[in-house]
Amino acid sequence: MITFERVTKRYADGTVAVDALDLEVPAGKTMVLVGPSGCGKTTSLRMINRLVEPTEGRILVDGRDALRQDPVKLRRGIGYVIQQTGLFPHRTIEDNVATVPLLLGARRAAARGRARELLELVGLDPALGRRYPRQLSGGQQQRVGVARALAADPPVLLMDEPFSAVDPVVRASLQDELIRLQTELRKTVVLVTHDVEEAIKVGDQVALYRPHGTLAQVGEPEDLLGAPADDYVRDFVGFDRGIRRLSFFGTGDLDLDTSPVLAGDATVADAVSTGAPWVLVTADGGRPTGWVPRHRLDAAGSATALRDLAADHCEHTFTAGTDSLRAALDAAVLSPAGQAVAVDGAGKTAGVLGYEQIRAAIAARAADGARGKDR
Amino acid sequence: MDWSWIPSNSGQILQLTGENAYLGIVPALIGLVIALPLGIAAARWNWFYPPTLTVLNIIYAIPSLALFIALIPAFGLTDTNVVIALTLYSLCVITPNVVAGLRAVPAAARQAATAMGYGPARRLLTVELPLAVPVIIAGLRVAVVSGISLASIGQLIGVSQLGYLFIDGLQRSFPTEVYVGLVLIIALAIVCDLLLVGVRRILTPWEAR
Amino acid sequence: MSFFSWAWGWISNGANWRGPGDIPQQILAHLEYSGLALLIAVVVAVPLGVALGHSGRGSAVVTNLANAARAIPTLGLLILLTVLAGFSPLAWLLPLVVLGIPPVLVNAYEGVAGVDPDVKDAARGAGMTTRQQILRVEVPCAMPLILTGLRTSAVFVVATATIAAYVGLGGLGRFIVDGLASSQYGPVAGGALLVVGLAIAVLILFSVLSRVLVPAGLRGSERSE
Repeated sequence: MITFERVTKRYADGTVAVDALDLEVPAGKTMVLVGPSGCGKTTSLRMINRLVEPTEGRILVDGRDALRQDPVKLRRGIGYVIQQTGLFPHRTIEDNVATVPLLLGARRAAARGRARELLELVGLDPALGRRYPRQLSGGQQQRVGVARALAADPPVLLMDEPFSAVDPVVRASLQDELIRLQTELRKTVVLVTHDVEEAIKVGDQVALYRPHGTLAQVGEPEDLLGAPADDYVRDFVGFDRGIRRLSFFGTGDLDLDTSPVLAGDATVADAVSTGAPWVLVTADGGRPTGWVPRHRLDAAGSATALRDLAADHCEHTFTAGTDSLRAALDAAVLSPAGQAVAVDGAGKTAGVLGYEQIRAAIAARAADGARGKDR
Repeated sequence: MDWSWIPSNSGQILQLTGENAYLGIVPALIGLVIALPLGIAAARWNWFYPPTLTVLNIIYAIPSLALFIALIPAFGLTDTNVVIALTLYSLCVITPNVVAGLRAVPAAARQAATAMGYGPARRLLTVELPLAVPVIIAGLRVAVVSGISLASIGQLIGVSQLGYLFIDGLQRSFPTEVYVGLVLIIALAIVCDLLLVGVRRILTPWEAR
Repeated sequence: MSFFSWAWGWISNGANWRGPGDIPQQILAHLEYSGLALLIAVVVAVPLGVALGHSGRGSAVVTNLANAARAIPTLGLLILLTVLAGFSPLAWLLPLVVLGIPPVLVNAYEGVAGVDPDVKDAARGAGMTTRQQILRVEVPCAMPLILTGLRTSAVFVVATATIAAYVGLGGLGRFIVDGLASSQYGPVAGGALLVVGLAIAVLILFSVLSRVLVPAGLRGSERSE
């Protein structure tokens, strides 16, 4: 656990970077510091491992006052990841990862062995260990940066805009990787970003800064989206925060409609008897194959099997129970029938969902205080 | 220190100072004129730079006295000899700076110029070279300062400038003359250096300070 | 080509390779003087440049100091010290050291000050002591530039040690100065060619050295002064 108690950073020229900050980062959770540039979020982060010395206040790392410890020893116990990776260009990947263990006096062979394990942990081929940083892509370098920070197995990990320098596709995969690592490792992570999407995606808690080093709101991501403290927070999280909030609404107990779902060997007559404007045809095993509109049923012979009719695509489905309402809404919008197809974990059709049911589900969850979080 | 020596020899001192200024400045300017096209070519065609740099490094490694001597059969014990030798050195100092200056032009500025319809020559003259001026002038400063101080070695092959005061002072065991020579060479170098700093400020008003 | 024919005529004369003050002796003497001056310059300038570069301060001081040192005519300093103190190690060593310091100082400074700030930040953040940051990260990263400075300095010193013969020092300059005094162009040209050869040999030596000493991860990023 990391605790900021009335921490202020004032520079010699009088600029206040961080102003009487009180903040608690729970152990084993990811706390994201987010805000506009110059708001003091990076300064806050760098005060934890004393790369910046606070002017006033106390910072406790796992109950011990960081300011009363030898900064060198303190830093060796805290993992640190930065934007441009800061990998040492003159050392191999392996030796980069082994930096802190070697500083702590580990034997070289043991440290390198551990380094290879860590490369694997962050999703890299251990064979890359013999290369030099400049021979790796930006995304790979960033993974090495994370491996280096984890090398001495520190309980605390500080990440300063770790994914800002890579392209959006790589960024998304690195974010997923961090979420996966966190479910395994349960470190106390403090991550700085200016990207609200990233904050909401990877944070268990989000601290939103105002300019000049004060906090606007601290809470779980859905609190910021669902109950912004004021106009500043509302503006910062963005105009489509309503849609993004749907990411935190689960799809576990939806009222799915199974009546327009028919197997491929059912006939046109069976389909017409449902009275639905679109019917969903499924293959053996229940996998959805396509939508057939009413007018195409009317044009075909009533004994024709449905699998012989031309069907419109339905690639966009959502997994009921795992995906969020946002995915369900997305699937509905992209469907020719205007209905989302729900599948179960095995890909078998569970039913379909129209706009009206989605609207009802949103209303119910919003009224619940949106505790249906499912991530 | 014999102060009275200075006013009684002021005519000669002034003449030697003028000669030294000529031998320091003219080669640097000729060097600049040659280094510009050479550096532009090296910045444009990447393959051209490494061999050019190797040749320049080798020329720069040639001791000045040896170079003066090597030029004697062709140019004799003349000013021309020293000017040519010092021109070669200034070429070695300025060319890498022309290349570095041009390479440091932000790619965005270059692309913007191209996108707005600048041809390669116009872009070079009105965008790239002006932006490279500070780095090029930094090279010119080194060339002028070291040229002024190197010129004194020309005295060993009989080309006169302030170095005369060293040789004469040694032969007569007269420190005053040597002091005067040293101080004037350093002062001359500093004045030329400051002038070039002024030129840079005039040419690049957009730079800080 | 008459310079080369003069030079070669003298160099290929076997008599010049034997006896007191022959070519091999003078080459050794030349290397001895230059090596000593370079060693002192390195011992003074590398730690100073690295320390200033680490602190990130003193940029203007270093540049101006190096510029001022460049303005000092070596011949003048050499003669002044000789006139004042007579012929002594101080008289020839000090000018060569003054000549050798600026390239080493500037390059060591620029090399260390120019290390990627993120790399420095990472070294601090990983819990390295100041000493470890300098020796394990900053100096290795600055190695290409430090070696460039060393090379420039070595070439300067070897080249300029020639003129120390003017105040009586041994070395290849002897042939040139004595030849000029007695109007014999053979030893003048021959001595000049040998100095050129020596300077270029030093250039090549340091180029090879930088291949060996620059960490593999940094190769291909060499800059020259």
